[in-house]
Amino acid sequence: MSTAELFSHRLLFVVGKGGVGRTTVALSLALAAARAEKKVLLIELEGARSLERGFQALRDAPDSPPELDRVSLQVVDGQSSLEEYLALVVPVRRLLDTIFKSAIYQYFVAAAPGLKELMAIGKIWFEAERKERDGAGPDLVIVDAPATGHGIQYLSMPQAAAETFTVGLVHREAERVADLLRDGSRTGAVLVTLPEEMPANEAMEMATALDGIGMELSLVVVNQYHEPPCEPGELAALESGLMTGEVDPTLREDLAQTLGAVRAEVSWAALNEAQVVRLESELGRPMALLPYLFCEEFASAQVGKISENLAGELASSPLSSQENSR
Amino acid sequence: MSALTGLDQLVADHRIVVCVGSGGVGKTTTAASIALRGALQGRRAIVLTIDPARRLADSLGVGPIGNTPGQVPAGVLGPEVSGSLAAMMLDQQGSWDELVARHSPRPEVEEKILANPFYQQLSQSFAGSQEYMAVEQLGALEASGDYDLIVVDTPPTQHALDFLDAPDKLLAFLDKQVVKWFLPGVTSGWTVFQSMNRSVRFVLDKIEDVTGVAVLSQVSEFFAGMGELFDGFEARVERVTALLRDSETAFVLVAGPGEQVLGQAEYLQGRMAEKGMPLKGVVMNRVHELSGALDPQPRLDGVEEALTAMAEQERLANPAALAGTLAGTWKDYVYRARGDALRIELFRAGLPGELPVAQIPDLSSDIHDIQGLRSLHMYLFPGFSLS
Repeated sequence: MSTAELFSHRLLFVVGKGGVGRTTVALSLALAAARAEKKVLLIELEGARSLERGFQALRDAPDSPPELDRVSLQVVDGQSSLEEYLALVVPVRRLLDTIFKSAIYQYFVAAAPGLKELMAIGKIWFEAERKERDGAGPDLVIVDAPATGHGIQYLSMPQAAAETFTVGLVHREAERVADLLRDGSRTGAVLVTLPEEMPANEAMEMATALDGIGMELSLVVVNQYHEPPCEPGELAALESGLMTGEVDPTLREDLAQTLGAVRAEVSWAALNEAQVVRLESELGRPMALLPYLFCEEFASAQVGKISENLAGELASSPLSSQENSR
Repeated sequence: MSALTGLDQLVADHRIVVCVGSGGVGKTTTAASIALRGALQGRRAIVLTIDPARRLADSLGVGPIGNTPGQVPAGVLGPEVSGSLAAMMLDQQGSWDELVARHSPRPEVEEKILANPFYQQLSQSFAGSQEYMAVEQLGALEASGDYDLIVVDTPPTQHALDFLDAPDKLLAFLDKQVVKWFLPGVTSGWTVFQSMNRSVRFVLDKIEDVTGVAVLSQVSEFFAGMGELFDGFEARVERVTALLRDSETAFVLVAGPGEQVLGQAEYLQGRMAEKGMPLKGVVMNRVHELSGALDPQPRLDGVEEALTAMAEQERLANPAALAGTLAGTWKDYVYRARGDALRIELFRAGLPGELPVAQIPDLSSDIHDIQGLRSLHMYLFPGFSLS
């Protein structure tokens, strides 16, 4: 999987459990694609609007990357998508406005199983097909999907709807959306995880769920990967050197701290590596490793800088193959 | 024995400790370690966990089947533990199904409800459903009288405080007024269909037409079958909510030092106080700690030089390059540690001075057994000794 291959999709869903850096990866991918001259639409589904905030911060940053001009953002929520859709099929605007305010309508729309998810995914489909339809749409739509379980619900709705209704308009529409999701040349999933036991477990469950829907897992992004600064043997030699060798006493404490920090990194790297090996053998999909970034302060203004870093990581090497990424 | 301090006092003073926080911050491990501390205080402790790592679950004696407390054998706990430790894993779906079974008038109704898509959505994925069940199970554990310390590990949420709102959200959704719409009327038909405005009905039908989602029928069927469940529902939620607001219940925030939540100390306390569930302790996890030196820059060259000499002495390959890399690792680490310290200090400044805050360093190891949980006590309960 090369960068060009990844970005040749029309639609990419960034999926993964909460707190693994989905939003940052979605932003980074958007920037990398924009650098490759793609017109990108970022879509945030419901939730905390963190993608919107990150996008804003990036745009407001003093050194805002110029390719950001090719990226736009839309927040999609099921209820407004439904109302947009209803306005098309029920053209009496004033009647609709009254109904939308009604408590019973509100309640049923909130309660109907899968309704909001279906409408949101329909809206994404509408945006993704725009290019084919009128030529003016985005080249690539990147969706920051909700955390694991709920994300899967979105992706499985069209198929469920197509199965419930075997004929008619609903069936045809749901089938078209499901077709797009299952077409690996047009739609792909980017699974973000951390190289730690629990997140890796969840990533594997997610991969199985994607498989069940028939979606292509295009790329696994392993975030916060600790690179070993040296070989364990080298560290052990230096540690014994500090214990037994002649060392400038004014530097002893600093050296001890240095080796302590190195020891922590080496241990993290070993833990991370074990999980990466596990993910590789279980998933067998292209993998990109994003390094653990040390920074003094993770403020919103720095989101821009970090995502640039991450985008650089992606653009420069790791996507090309598993071998290159290691 | 000297007076207890900090979180140790907090554990001793409370019957229920609820660990809140967003996902991936070590809540499960912290909760289990706190419960173990309770057992060391001589109490009958239990930890209600949500999704423990496999090996931790195994060593706590939590089987793959949830909702049954497993006792950690005394031999595993060690002779100095005078109390006991049990663990239970929350089985969300199982808990809902039990609730339905308990309140279904007839087996056919139960079957119908379990197969109802609205029920499946409600029990599996409705926001707040898992949190609600955690609170339900907490109520059941408390009522059993088998434990005098219950530590609750809450489901991972986007925001650290989402747990507090979840049961209310679900309650609002299953609001009495709404449920009333569905109760069979004395005359024919349900109140909801009689009272429903014709144009609303028209639009809902239209939604069914264009989306294929059975908006009316599935929701109505569920409520019609479960009328009885909701009779006692509000009273039950009120009882467990009262438990959460009890003076013997403590909320402990578990957070990582990189989290945005650290910028919101006052907001956190305000929101929790408003809910009647005040914040009583904080555990900062995965902190990059540093002793002394705050700025390595002036000494960096000396360190690099000394490392080069050491590497040469140990006959390692490329001594200068290796020393450069390792000095860089230290520098990165110090910057990170400095950032952590700064954020934690700002956070603490926004908290009342007496609120206990414990710090666990960024331990590069998995904690998966009783020994591991014990090893956290030196950070969670500093000053505590076994004797």
